[in-house]
Amino acid sequence: MSLAFDLETALATARACVGSKLSPLPKDGVDLVETGALDSMAWVDTLIGIESSTDIRDFGNPWPENRPKSIRTLADMIREAQKPCPDEKPWVGARQQDDSARDTAVGGWGYALGSLVVDAEQIDRNLALPMHKIRDGAGIHSVCLASDTEDELALGQRAAEIALEMTEIPVDQIDFLVTTSATFLGFPSFAASLHSRLLLRDTTAALDVGGACAGLIYSLAVAKSLLRTRPQGVALVVAAEVHSRRFDAPQVPGEFRGLFGDGACAFVLTNAATDAQIGCVRLQEFVWGCSGTFASSLGVKISENAGLNVQFKGEQLAYAAITELERIIATLENLSARPRSEVDYFALHQPNPRVVEVLTEKAKIPLERIPLVSKACGNLGSVTCGASLCQALTSFRMGGSQLRKPLIFMAAVAPGLLWGGVFLN
Amino acid sequence: MRELILSDITEMGSGLCVIGIEAATENLFRSVRPIPPQGFAWDRAFPHKRGSEVRFTSRPTSVCPPHTEDQNTDGLEASGTCPSEVELVNMLQRAEVSTELEGLFGCELHVDTKGGNAWVDSSQASSSICGCLYRNLRFLVFQDPNRITLRARLVLVSGETLNSLPVVDREWRRFMDEVMERLTRSGGHFDLDRYLNRFIRNKLLQALHGFARIGLARPDNGHKCWLMLDSLFPQPDVSWLDVL
Repeated sequence: MSLAFDLETALATARACVGSKLSPLPKDGVDLVETGALDSMAWVDTLIGIESSTDIRDFGNPWPENRPKSIRTLADMIREAQKPCPDEKPWVGARQQDDSARDTAVGGWGYALGSLVVDAEQIDRNLALPMHKIRDGAGIHSVCLASDTEDELALGQRAAEIALEMTEIPVDQIDFLVTTSATFLGFPSFAASLHSRLLLRDTTAALDVGGACAGLIYSLAVAKSLLRTRPQGVALVVAAEVHSRRFDAPQVPGEFRGLFGDGACAFVLTNAATDAQIGCVRLQEFVWGCSGTFASSLGVKISENAGLNVQFKGEQLAYAAITELERIIATLENLSARPRSEVDYFALHQPNPRVVEVLTEKAKIPLERIPLVSKACGNLGSVTCGASLCQALTSFRMGGSQLRKPLIFMAAVAPGLLWGGVFLN
Repeated sequence: MRELILSDITEMGSGLCVIGIEAATENLFRSVRPIPPQGFAWDRAFPHKRGSEVRFTSRPTSVCPPHTEDQNTDGLEASGTCPSEVELVNMLQRAEVSTELEGLFGCELHVDTKGGNAWVDSSQASSSICGCLYRNLRFLVFQDPNRITLRARLVLVSGETLNSLPVVDREWRRFMDEVMERLTRSGGHFDLDRYLNRFIRNKLLQALHGFARIGLARPDNGHKCWLMLDSLFPQPDVSWLDVL
């Protein structure tokens, strides 16, 4: 298992943060506050600097008694923060005691994309962007947009039909429909509307889950929990987004609109004990949370006149996404007790391919292990990591041995900054 | 003489009920239910088929709402060439249509049992036939004493659903009879539900001219007019039997 910070890296981080306030740099063991080298404000600013650069939440707050406020201690605390949080221990223990109940199998999967394929240059022209902004800046070659006859329901239905076809489970055996969509607004909600569209039976539950780009992971977690209440149950999880219609407004910046495509994905889940498929991939442990530090990097709100207000700080958002996704991967390593080098696929949220490339460099994971949906389809919101997971599962089924299950890390971030992850094998 | 294009041929008891469309304005059509000289139902040996152009002489008719389309005739005679199925659906989309349940017959629909068929109050409905696009459908098979019958669930454009609609469309009934005959011959060695709800359903959902005509049965003693699936497009194709 690799740790994100070895001692030298941690020392370098601490020195850089202190060095931005103090020159020349004192020795590593010197108490910076006791000696008056830093005043209290500068000290707090140093802690915030480390928090930002390491994304260790509440770093040094509160500062432990009897520890010097030195560079060396800062480095030690950076390293200590990488260890599993003591708060997680009871949860880990509970999981181990309830081992048999945690297996949820992914029996079927499918995704559907908007049928209009628009290349990057056309997007530049349509949105009056500088030429090559989308291709060179974001790494997107084309996006898939919904046609006039396609919406969240049509795409969701298509994806669900593919997933159900794979499992050969009739729709009247579905007990739970769990859906997510950030672009479907209004009531009846997406879950209710899709329930009708799929002609599910009256006693099939239908739930909407929020979370925007992280919504699919949250939906999978909800579905897994619901399945524990019904051992023979079947859950259908569907994510669908039609950004092109929602973002088709003058207030939405072109460089933001141009990144998005439309699509849907679906997964059929069963309790593993009821599933006869030996090679069935199973949902394992989830992680999730919300990091308010980056809350202002992206905001989308309905204005009073029913227009759409978008607050979009591209660089900050990219930085936040990369940092958080890398952190989720590290957490999944801990949970799965498997290093990232052993992961077969990373089904990740992909704000755009450039962000993914930077992430692969930072996280030291091979790009070829990430089914790169966003390059040809654009950012599909909650569907991105789902379509990526579909591609990973299909790729494994086509080429892999059924005797070995793939190890897949799934991670996503969303405005808030909400984050979530799960590993499958 | 008035001219009609036959749009719906449905089984009604031992006979057939027939509906056609006639030009109402330059671009619109309206439904007319020609009534034979004797009785309400046409003989099973009805010589015309869906899409046939026929003409007739109108006779005085006392209309009983909601079957306001009824028109007494001296009989029907063939008059012209048949439009294709796609052309017929195109015309039906310019006749009575609704995207939502309440618009089908101009009144509220009622359901007595969960998942059961719907009915309308005969005193509230303003018409007895209407077309609609469907977004999804599934078949239900019922074993009646003498015959396997087919029912359908439909999702309209509005997202509203119709459950357990009896399929009275003559062509679908004939098709179903043939399916059952092949099932019997095969010793029951194929999955009927899978055939109907995967193979056939996929054919219907993939077609670009998917369309349904919903009709009302004559009122029962309690003034309930039950809904029926008068026509389902695409019509069944004999080649769909080849997989059996």
